[in-house]
Amino acid sequence: MSLYEEVKVHGYEEFCKAVSDRKGKDIFAYFSGDKDADGNSWCPDCVKAEPIVRGEISHLPEGSVFIYCQVGQRDYWKNPNNDFKKTLKLSGVPTLLRYGTPQKLVEEECFKANLVRMMFTED
Amino acid sequence: MAAFFKSRHRWKRTSCFPILTRNLTGKYECDMVVIGGGSGGLACSKEAAVLGQKVAVLDYVEPSAKGTKWGLGGTCVNVGCIPKKLMHQAALLGTAVKDARKYGWKIKDPVSHDWETMAEAVQNHVRSLNWGHRVQLQDKKVKYLNVKGSLVDEHTVRGMTKSGKEFFLTAKNIVIATGGRPKYPTHIPGAMEHGITSDDIFWLKEAPGKTLVVGASYVALECAGFLTGIGQDTTVMVRSIALRGFDQQMAGLVTDYMQAYGTRFAWGCVPQRVDKLPSGALQVTWANTHTGREEMDSFDSVLWAMGRAPETKALGLDKVGVELNRDTGKIVVGADESTSVSSIYAFGDIGEGRPELTPTAIKAGRLLARRLAGQSTQLMNYDNVATTVFTPLEYGCVGLSEEEAVGRYGQDSIEVYHAFYKPLEFTVAERDASQCYIKVVCERGGEQRILGLHFTGPNAGEVTQGFAMGLRCGATLSHLKETVGIHPTCAEELTKVSITKRSGLDATTTGC
Repeated sequence: MSLYEEVKVHGYEEFCKAVSDRKGKDIFAYFSGDKDADGNSWCPDCVKAEPIVRGEISHLPEGSVFIYCQVGQRDYWKNPNNDFKKTLKLSGVPTLLRYGTPQKLVEEECFKANLVRMMFTED
Repeated sequence: MAAFFKSRHRWKRTSCFPILTRNLTGKYECDMVVIGGGSGGLACSKEAAVLGQKVAVLDYVEPSAKGTKWGLGGTCVNVGCIPKKLMHQAALLGTAVKDARKYGWKIKDPVSHDWETMAEAVQNHVRSLNWGHRVQLQDKKVKYLNVKGSLVDEHTVRGMTKSGKEFFLTAKNIVIATGGRPKYPTHIPGAMEHGITSDDIFWLKEAPGKTLVVGASYVALECAGFLTGIGQDTTVMVRSIALRGFDQQMAGLVTDYMQAYGTRFAWGCVPQRVDKLPSGALQVTWANTHTGREEMDSFDSVLWAMGRAPETKALGLDKVGVELNRDTGKIVVGADESTSVSSIYAFGDIGEGRPELTPTAIKAGRLLARRLAGQSTQLMNYDNVATTVFTPLEYGCVGLSEEEAVGRYGQDSIEVYHAFYKPLEFTVAERDASQCYIKVVCERGGEQRILGLHFTGPNAGEVTQGFAMGLRCGATLSHLKETVGIHPTCAEELTKVSITKRSGLDATTTGC
C-alpha cells in the first residue's frame, strides 16, 4: 500500500526511459555508484546516504515516482563526458533530485535527513 | 507546509516548532521573527541562527497586478539584480556578436534573439537560487514559513497562509525586512489594467515587443537598455530628469549613449492615459511639456518604472506604534536599525533614508543579528557605498556626486579631475566611445582626499569595486596617481587622471 512507485534502473538509457514512460508525474531520482555482487557501492558517500534517503521515503507525495538509478562503475563516473554529467548536469554522487525542477541535494547534503524530508514534503 | 499543518486541528497561540524546547528567552517562542525573506531578511535570519538564536522567517509574495509571483529570495533574486544582470548580459552579447565580425568572426546576418530561450534560462537560474536559499534556511535551522506576516503587538506576529488560516508567533525581537514593490501610477486611467512593472518583465512568456518604459530611474534605464539590446523597439518617457539623485553629468552620458545605441527618449513627457486597441495594442496618450501638445502612439507593452513604494500597508504598523516617514511611507529607523518600538527593528529598502541595495541590506542584516545576539556592538556604515547602473554603457560610482561635493564643501574647495578615454576593444570594433568618461572629485586643499569617483564604460561594476576599497581607506589623489595602472585596461585611466575641470583644458586621453 505504498503512496509512491519505486523504479530501479541501471545506466543513462534506462533512466531516460523510466522518466519518459512516466510523463506528467512528480519524479524523484536518486543516483548512486554501482553496487557490486555483495550489494556494496564503490562510492562511500552513496553507502552513507542511502539509508538516510530511504529513511525519509515514507514522506514522498502520493502518486510520485522514486527512481533508484545506479550510474555505472567508478571509471565511467570519473569520465567528465559521461551522459549523467553532460546531459543531466550531475556534479557528483550521490545526488537526489526532483526531475524537471531545480530541487537537488548533492553529496553531503544527502546525509541530512531534514533536507531530504524537506524535498519530499514541500512544493 | 502540508505535512506541518496536518497534525494540528485548531490554531491559536501555539508553538510552530514541533519539538518543544525551552528557548533562550523563556517566555517567547522565538528569539527573532523576521518578516521578509529577501536579501536582508535571509542574511539576518541565517546569521542569527548560526549564532544560536531561535529564528523564524516569514516570506510571502503578493502577486503583481498582472498575477506574477515568485519564490523565496526577495526582489534581488527574483525580479531585480539577478534577472536584470542576466538580461543585460544577453543584450551585451548581441552587441558583441556584431563587434565579432570586425575581429574576423564569420557570423551570418541577420542575428536574431529568442526571448523564450533567454527567459527560460534566466528563470531556471532564479529557481535554483530559490531552492538554494530554501536549503540554506533548513540547514541552518531557520524556520521558514511561506505566509503573510503582520504585527499584532510588539512581541507577536500573525501569519496568514494562502488558504486563509491564521496562527501566531511570539518573539523577543521582530525584524521587518519587507522591502518595496514598484509603484503604479493609479491616477492614470488604464495604467494598472494594461501596464506591467519590473515585477513582470522578467517573467513574461513572450517578448514585450514595442515597449514604452515610463520613468527614468535606473530600473527604467536598465530595462529599456536590455530591451533595446535584444531588438525590441523601446522608448523611455521621462518627466524631467534621468537618474535623479545620481551625478547628473554622468546621467547625461548614460542617456546619450542609450540614444546613440537605439533607445528613443521622450523628454519632458507625462503619460495621461492608456487604452487598449481592438488589435490588442496599447495606445498611450501623453502631454509633451515642451510643445504643450498632447501626443499619442501605440505600443505592445507599457512598463511603469516610476519608483518603488515600501511594503508596509498590510503589516499593521500603526496598530503597534511603529513610526513611518510621512512622505515616503518607509519605517523611521535609528543607526542601529531600531524603530520607535523597542523590540521591533527594520532595515533594507523598508528603512527610511537607507540605500535600496542588496549588499547594504545583507551587511546591515548580519550586523543586526550579531548585535541582537549580544555578540557585537558594530553598527552598519552606509557611507561610500559603491554602486553600478547596468545600462548599455555601464556607470559605476562610489562616494559623492559632483553636485553633492559642491553642496557640502563649496565649489572652491573641491577639484574635479576628469578624462574621456577610449576602451581598446572599441577601436577594432569601430565603436563610438564619446561617452566613456572618468571623473574623480577631490578636496582641493591638503591631502586632496577623494570624495567621489565616477566611471562610464564596459564592466563598470568590476572597475569600481576595487576603488571603493580605496575610498574606505581614505584614499587621496596622490594614492590614486601613485598607483601603477594595469595595461591595457579601462580601469588604468583612473590612475592617470590629471586634467582638472577648472583648467578648462581638453580632457581627452591620448593613449600610451
